[in-house]
Amino acid sequence: MQVLTDLFARFRPNTVRTTAKDRMRSMLTYDRLELPAGRLECLEEELMAVVSRYFELDKSTTQFDLQQYDRRAALVANFPLLRSKC
Amino acid sequence: MSGRVIVITSGKGGVGKTTASANLGVALAGTGASVALVDMDIGLRNLDILMGLENRVVYNLVDVIEERCKLRQALVKDKRLPNLSLLPAAQTRDKSAVSADQMKVLCKDLSNIFEFVLVDSPAGIEQGFQNAVAGAHEAIVVCTPEMSSVRDADRIIGLLEARKDEIEQYRLVVNRYRPNMVQANDMMSVEDVLEILSVELLGVVPEDEEIIISTNKGEPVSGTDNCKSGLAYRNIARRLRGEDVPIMDFSSQNQTWINRIVNFFSPVRV
Repeated sequence: MQVLTDLFARFRPNTVRTTAKDRMRSMLTYDRLELPAGRLECLEEELMAVVSRYFELDKSTTQFDLQQYDRRAALVANFPLLRSKC
Repeated sequence: MSGRVIVITSGKGGVGKTTASANLGVALAGTGASVALVDMDIGLRNLDILMGLENRVVYNLVDVIEERCKLRQALVKDKRLPNLSLLPAAQTRDKSAVSADQMKVLCKDLSNIFEFVLVDSPAGIEQGFQNAVAGAHEAIVVCTPEMSSVRDADRIIGLLEARKDEIEQYRLVVNRYRPNMVQANDMMSVEDVLEILSVELLGVVPEDEEIIISTNKGEPVSGTDNCKSGLAYRNIARRLRGEDVPIMDFSSQNQTWINRIVNFFSPVRV
């Protein structure tokens, strides 16, 4: 049932309930890591600069965010590469 | 005998810690167990009111710790259940009147007399909370399905995790649940809260006006029949005793299966 609910949630407009849940999840990720606002963006910029020295990046489709697994967070980065620079 | 010492805590104030403590005390005693309720909210005593025992308080927890009386002298027996006693908080002192080490000794002494020692923690994460958890082996985290309460519960869970050596188990009670608002997608569901907090569920207590009435009477709802919050607390007490009691199904209330299917696909209220 939960799987189906999640599946159909994609095709369903946002409700107050999903807004609350999404805000809650992101807030707790930052709380648990004691991560100040803006810090993640800082890291993204720096990482992107390093990767850009080696590869040409498709900057329009990069993904960079934190995801929760149980009570642990993971940094998930997706930098689509176009070609090598060297 | 070595009884179980369970702290009831939440971080945020006003979510129902004291109400949960009183009701679980009555419900557990109703199953035949001997129970001590300990009010750790020193300076802001309230558990005695919910139990209807405010006129019988002679000594308090601080008197015991400062050895002005014996432990048994400070325990106030419940009006109805002879196997239920309250250790009231001091009203004129503050949280610094007790140390964590003193609490450990007190909880140990109580657990030699009672099968269950329920410690009602004050709000916050400061010394009052630290003292309340000091002697406990288990914790019940109370939260309502509201963002500020869930955030504070998460903080508390983090602090309980850090005490893994002492707190062997902690479980969540979702309080003041409003199934109708969840069905209308205006509020987080129990499943949402559990997923966000990654915590084991002990029980769900529905929002119920009877709670206010029972507080005014000084008779916890779990001691009376025909009231849904009372039944929820009695179920929690049975789960605490190891019984496998299913969580009440709120979603099926006032709903046909056709309604459920329509609701499932629809973002608007049905």
